[in-house]
Amino acid sequence: MLVDRRQAISSLAALFAAALPRASLAQSSTIELGALVPLTGSGGSYGPSMAESIKWVLQNVNDAGGINGRKLNLTVEDDQTNPDSGVRAARKLIDVNKVVAIMATWASSVTTAVAPLCWESHTFLTTDSGADSITQLPHQGYLIRTEPTTTLIMTKIGNFLADIGVKKAFLISAQTPFAAPAKAVLGKVLASRGGTLLGQVVYDRDKTSFRSEIDLAMKDKPDLIFLDGYTPDVTILLGDLFRAGYDGKKIARGYAVNEKLLSSLPPNVTEGVFTVVPSPEVGSATYKSLAQHLNVTEVDPYTCEAFDQANLVCLALQKATQPTGTGIRDAIHAVSDPGGTVVYGAVDGIKALRSGTRKIKYSGVSGPCIFNQIGDIVDVKARFEQVHNGKPTLFKIT
Amino acid sequence: MSEAAQLAVNGLMSGSLLMLPAIGFSLIYGVLRFPNFAVASIATIGGFSAYVANVFFHWPLPVSIAFAFLIAGSIGVGSDFLLLRPLRKAGIVAAAIGSLALNIFLENVVRFSFGNDLRGLNVPIMRDVVVLGLHVGRQQVFNVAWAATAAIILFLLLKNSRIGKQMRAVADNPMLARIQRIDALQVGNITTFIAMGLAGIGGALLALDTSVDPLLGFRILLPLFAACVIGGIGSFPGAVVGAAIIGIGEEMAAVLWSPAYRTGVGFIAIVITLMIRPSGIFSRQ
Repeated sequence: MLVDRRQAISSLAALFAAALPRASLAQSSTIELGALVPLTGSGGSYGPSMAESIKWVLQNVNDAGGINGRKLNLTVEDDQTNPDSGVRAARKLIDVNKVVAIMATWASSVTTAVAPLCWESHTFLTTDSGADSITQLPHQGYLIRTEPTTTLIMTKIGNFLADIGVKKAFLISAQTPFAAPAKAVLGKVLASRGGTLLGQVVYDRDKTSFRSEIDLAMKDKPDLIFLDGYTPDVTILLGDLFRAGYDGKKIARGYAVNEKLLSSLPPNVTEGVFTVVPSPEVGSATYKSLAQHLNVTEVDPYTCEAFDQANLVCLALQKATQPTGTGIRDAIHAVSDPGGTVVYGAVDGIKALRSGTRKIKYSGVSGPCIFNQIGDIVDVKARFEQVHNGKPTLFKIT
Repeated sequence: MSEAAQLAVNGLMSGSLLMLPAIGFSLIYGVLRFPNFAVASIATIGGFSAYVANVFFHWPLPVSIAFAFLIAGSIGVGSDFLLLRPLRKAGIVAAAIGSLALNIFLENVVRFSFGNDLRGLNVPIMRDVVVLGLHVGRQQVFNVAWAATAAIILFLLLKNSRIGKQMRAVADNPMLARIQRIDALQVGNITTFIAMGLAGIGGALLALDTSVDPLLGFRILLPLFAACVIGGIGSFPGAVVGAAIIGIGEEMAAVLWSPAYRTGVGFIAIVITLMIRPSGIFSRQ
């Protein structure tokens, strides 16, 4: 049978017209959410489990009936731990997927780049990033973070260093938005405890060797060197410190000195290195069920934070008058209210809200999840570990 | 003064790691007359080849480095045959853009095959030796020796062997070489194999010095290009001297500016060279 051009065009138009209302209907029946996580790049070891924890929360909420009968649909994008890629992915989530919230940005540089897109488009943003400057942006309330600020965590670290007898410290920092505040806070805390921050060197992470940075750091013979970078660069720094014969104390962030770093360096190079991470609520039943779902014995703090963010967003959507970014913004403090009814998951919280509870307090696996007016968490526990024979062991929780 | 000397030593060490990929880049430019930016991902492939040979097959380091040379050279020739040779007919710009695309493609093939994780070779991390008050890493000395040996062998090959003379003939005047019945296709293949093999050894030495990940080559792309521009693209000694200058310049930047501006050294070196001597230090013009 021959089909002429007119017939073909009119058939296609009819097909398109028939499909359009269904597509619109499908979109309006779900609430679109986005996760912008680092699946590749220096944060690539955390992104997959962060995304999985968010999926699990949304799946549980959907299985329990969704938000006022509407199902949640998640789109996961990779920010490649890179601001350029992060902005492109955020644009896609906002403009194409029409998400009402973007969850779990990780690197401070990515969050700093993505945040203006979110508040301009009234999309709610939740983040794992720690740089002080992020919540000082004019975000109009469209941003919360579960990661402690640089000031909060560096104060904990400064006091910890003073407790273990450090008098002279040197800071080697990757070029990040938190490099400058880290130096200011650490210097202040150490000075208040009778110690000194000898100096700071900020390095370019793309270097293949950091010998000159190490030479600068060792010049004044510090008794501790703080390696404030990410896994690839801290791996090189630890090797270079060992080669240079440095035998003093070392500390780095737990996200940098992870299993991958410890498996790629000989145990004698990492021996004695202190690490610090915001401490998850490892004793809680929710933490254990999350670990079981992810099939791991320990859940990293960033995955715990992503899990909490997903729960908070779901609760805020249930509480909100409209399932929009602005609705989440207006409701978020009502579901993390210290005086509210305590819940440990979105499903229980949604039931409580449906039964008329006005304010609830979501108690998270990453911490208490209490936010101030600019979206920072107000307190955190810090978990200090020390590496022995290539394995991190708990040293202290403060 | 001792600080400056230490920085110079550190710079020479890191420059020596840039040297082999820079020589490879220059060699291809000299003979095939186009900038092959895929040299960066081939260096990454060299690093991963050495990793596989050393960690999975438990081969000793010299064999692992030779393996990196063979794999990198073979993939270099294969990718040149499939993608870059047809593009060269469309001109230097098409070939250069094609090589950038090939670079991204190969990097992602490595990422897909090995993941993003850092991987280290089975080599002990040894304490530095101190000579005249200057710290020098034992592994770095080993790496410099490897790089220098490879460069000297290539130099002797170019100077004395028949294929070396043919390569120089094609580089000097392709038309005259064709009249002399030199098989330009064969010379091009051998040049690509050697150049990419050298890049592969460079990647293996970088992996030995630090660790290997899919971005290993990408990190050295700008410095190695800057090294070639300074020395004169297409010049063998130019690549060697350019790599040393970039290595020392990047380390010195740590003292004069902030180490955070190290990347700027490559850009500034390119700009200054293009303003003062556009064809580089060792150009014949």
